[in-house]
Amino acid sequence: MATRCQFESSSEVGVFAQLTNAYCLVATGRSENFYSIFEAELAEHIPVIKTSVSGTRLVGRVTVGNRNGLLMPNSATDQELQHVRNSLPDEVVVQRIDERLSALGNCIACNDYVALAHPDIDRETEEIVADVLGVEVFRQSISNNVLVGSNCKFTNQGGLVHPQTSVEDLDELASLLQVPLVAGTVNRGSGVIGAGLLANDWSAFCGLDTTATELQVIESVFKLRDSQPSNIVNELRASLVESLA
Amino acid sequence: MPLYNFKTIKVVPTGKDFIDIVLSRTQRQTPTVVHNGWAITRIRSFYMRKVKYTQSNWGEKLTQILDDFPKVDDIHPFYADLLNVLYDKDHFKLALGQLNMARNLIGKVAQDYVRLLKYGDSLYRCKQLKRAALGRMCTIMKKQTASLAYLEQVRQHMSRLPSIDPNTRTLLVCGYPNVGKSSFMNKITRADVDVQPYAFTTKSLFIGHMDYKYLRWQVIDTPGILDRPLEERNTIEMQSVTALAHLRAAVLYIVDISEQCGYTIAQQAALFHSIKPLFASKPLLVVANKTDAASLEALSPEDQAILRELVVEAAKTSAGAGVVLDAEALAREANLQKMSTLTEEGVMDVKQLACDRLLASRVEMKLQGKRVKDITNRIHVAQPQSRDGSGGAAEPSSARPTCIPASVLAKRAAATSGAMPSQPALDAEETELQLQERLGGAGVYSADLRKRWQLANPGWKYDIAPEIIEGHNIADFIDPDIEAKLAALEAEEDALAAASEGIDMDLDELTPEEMELLSQIKDRRRVLVAAHRRRKSAANNNPVMPRGRDVERNINTDEMKKSLDWMGYNTEKAVSRARGQSRLGRKRTRSEGPAGMDVDGVADGDVDMEPPKKRIHSSKSRSMSRGRALSIAEPGAGKGFRDASQRNKAVKISDKAMRKRGKQARRGEGDRHIPDLKPKHLLTGKRGKGKTDRR
Repeated sequence: MATRCQFESSSEVGVFAQLTNAYCLVATGRSENFYSIFEAELAEHIPVIKTSVSGTRLVGRVTVGNRNGLLMPNSATDQELQHVRNSLPDEVVVQRIDERLSALGNCIACNDYVALAHPDIDRETEEIVADVLGVEVFRQSISNNVLVGSNCKFTNQGGLVHPQTSVEDLDELASLLQVPLVAGTVNRGSGVIGAGLLANDWSAFCGLDTTATELQVIESVFKLRDSQPSNIVNELRASLVESLA
Repeated sequence: MPLYNFKTIKVVPTGKDFIDIVLSRTQRQTPTVVHNGWAITRIRSFYMRKVKYTQSNWGEKLTQILDDFPKVDDIHPFYADLLNVLYDKDHFKLALGQLNMARNLIGKVAQDYVRLLKYGDSLYRCKQLKRAALGRMCTIMKKQTASLAYLEQVRQHMSRLPSIDPNTRTLLVCGYPNVGKSSFMNKITRADVDVQPYAFTTKSLFIGHMDYKYLRWQVIDTPGILDRPLEERNTIEMQSVTALAHLRAAVLYIVDISEQCGYTIAQQAALFHSIKPLFASKPLLVVANKTDAASLEALSPEDQAILRELVVEAAKTSAGAGVVLDAEALAREANLQKMSTLTEEGVMDVKQLACDRLLASRVEMKLQGKRVKDITNRIHVAQPQSRDGSGGAAEPSSARPTCIPASVLAKRAAATSGAMPSQPALDAEETELQLQERLGGAGVYSADLRKRWQLANPGWKYDIAPEIIEGHNIADFIDPDIEAKLAALEAEEDALAAASEGIDMDLDELTPEEMELLSQIKDRRRVLVAAHRRRKSAANNNPVMPRGRDVERNINTDEMKKSLDWMGYNTEKAVSRARGQSRLGRKRTRSEGPAGMDVDGVADGDVDMEPPKKRIHSSKSRSMSRGRALSIAEPGAGKGFRDASQRNKAVKISDKAMRKRGKQARRGEGDRHIPDLKPKHLLTGKRGKGKTDRR
């Protein structure tokens, strides 16, 4: 079930939170409204951790992680690292990495088995990503944009990519990631999928501006509430053609 | 946002108002003072400006009206026809055309009169020419009064038209009057159209909106149509016809099978056949309404036959003129929909069928267009291919299982089986939001970050752990005996302060520089004291109001007694001691002895004599009690005096001279006085060139 939410009247919820199958990081805000949305939905299944990273609230954009581990940027403070470490179960490895492109969430996208990375990322970082997160790493760009983390979001079930990705690129990426992919938008036509959407294998959160059609596409491709990606081709097709063309 | 919004058209003023608006604007916005003595070119340009300004004002206003109203030939044919039906296209065009002509005429008048003004040879002539120009412009506009009034009416009506988007997904409900069109509309949207049991309740187009398949649909309720030739139809019916003719919508033709509307099924079928051309190649649905009043099966065979024929005809019309339907398609398409807007039976089926058919036809049309190429990726789900080179579809689920916690699966299973209602468990922890609300709200509540820490021993949660900043433990930088050191420092400070208090100033120990400084300080002090004393003594020269005149200071024994009595004191002694009483009735007495007489015999400073008896106000006693002479002026000669004593003398003389004047509050030469604020010789008469203070 995809939930629509907002962080302090911003619909870019992917910037202020990081969701994986094993934990969820949420930015500290002025009030507990945003945190409690995640808490109510997830807290009984996985730890929901309220933290800042390197003193900022851009938790989702500067960290990357999956069920095996969490990578934090070099600028994250020791206290933050300690707090996150204490909040997570021991199976999850927390690692701070020395990477020039410190917005890791924008430069790396991953699920539990495979990751896409910015082409200019360090070789060392690539190795650390492979080791800590336990994934295969591919240097890729999506629709000629190197910020793969911003422009797509995928889980073990499926993925949504930037709306201007061509059909050929989509097929190639799907084979690379081994999950069904579809090009789509969030937040009433925004192509910055990573910023507008949070998803794991059983839940999703998107910005408050997301339309009903966008929400249906998201639920179908991430197989939430027993939807299947084939719905997009079968049931949603008419609505999509009608509203987009 | 609606494409056609007629609500923003500005108000069209009546002819008279229009003239007032423009003329008063000219009056306000152009200069109004002109003098006969001006150069003739200046007078001419003054009036030319008025004429030109008035003309541009008319032009501006008329252009706005012409731009605001839609051009019948430019807008969507649906709206063009609707305007024609409602307001008569010719009349509308004529009115706008006349305004356009008036604008041109006014321009020409202005041009002519500006040209004439160039030859105006006096202020009077120029003024008459301007008057004539403005008058002719007003006459031109006065002739447009009827057009303006008509356009204002049209504007008011147009601003109340429903904002129908002619290009979006639309359901169009039509049929004979009183067959239940508005009831259907009310059932599927929230439009709340008036429903009454008589014909022509709906007199204009009404619009409602609904959601279906994640899309927004508009439903248009049309007024009922009667079966008669097009020329005889009235305005109300023509609105329906216009909508049917121009909107690419799904049409619902509603038939009242109970015949409660007053028309037989045969009549309703006849109407269908006569307006059939309007339905060509649109998704069309024949709906039998009011099945609660009469069931379809109970109808007479003739009526049933008519309805069957109607449905088949509808399917054919819907498919388009050139298409020939085979039997199977006919059977699929041609079925009569049954509904009852009273019991809501079948209403949703009808809505869904109509929407589906329209959506299908629209999608089909869009797929033939060019824009669909841009969105092929959006309707394409890329399925992963196996990466081991076999080329077949991958099986992600086996090699790469999803990771859903067991608790999630359990919850889902419980929700689907319905065994446990999906309400939160009673012992569920309070969420942070609830805590926040309970403990003071946002900004006051401070969340406990360690609450959910997962440590080997939960008791460790709130242990004080070393805090580390930039690789350094903060505790390493804390001095354990910092308190003792601080105490020692403070003690030292106190000792120093105590020592400094005992220090005495000793003049002998002063260095020459310090002596110099001290004498400077003393000198300065002497100057200040002297100045103060002098001010004090000079103040004696101030005028004094006689006590009898001063109401506030009017104190005598009676007053004193009164006030003391009032305060509750015993006034006897006070009154007896009062000076006035002591003098009262006192007789002159003889002097007693020579000692009392000898006033002047005592020399100053003769201290050896025994002190004389008490004498009041004698110069002797005064001089005896006097201290050393006070220096009146500040020390140092200065200002043209030889020495301080000379200066003192001068000061005394000056004070004495001023005393009388001061006491009597007379005007002295030091008082500022302006004898005449406005001397007549400076302020009357003509002023010459360049002189402001002399005449």
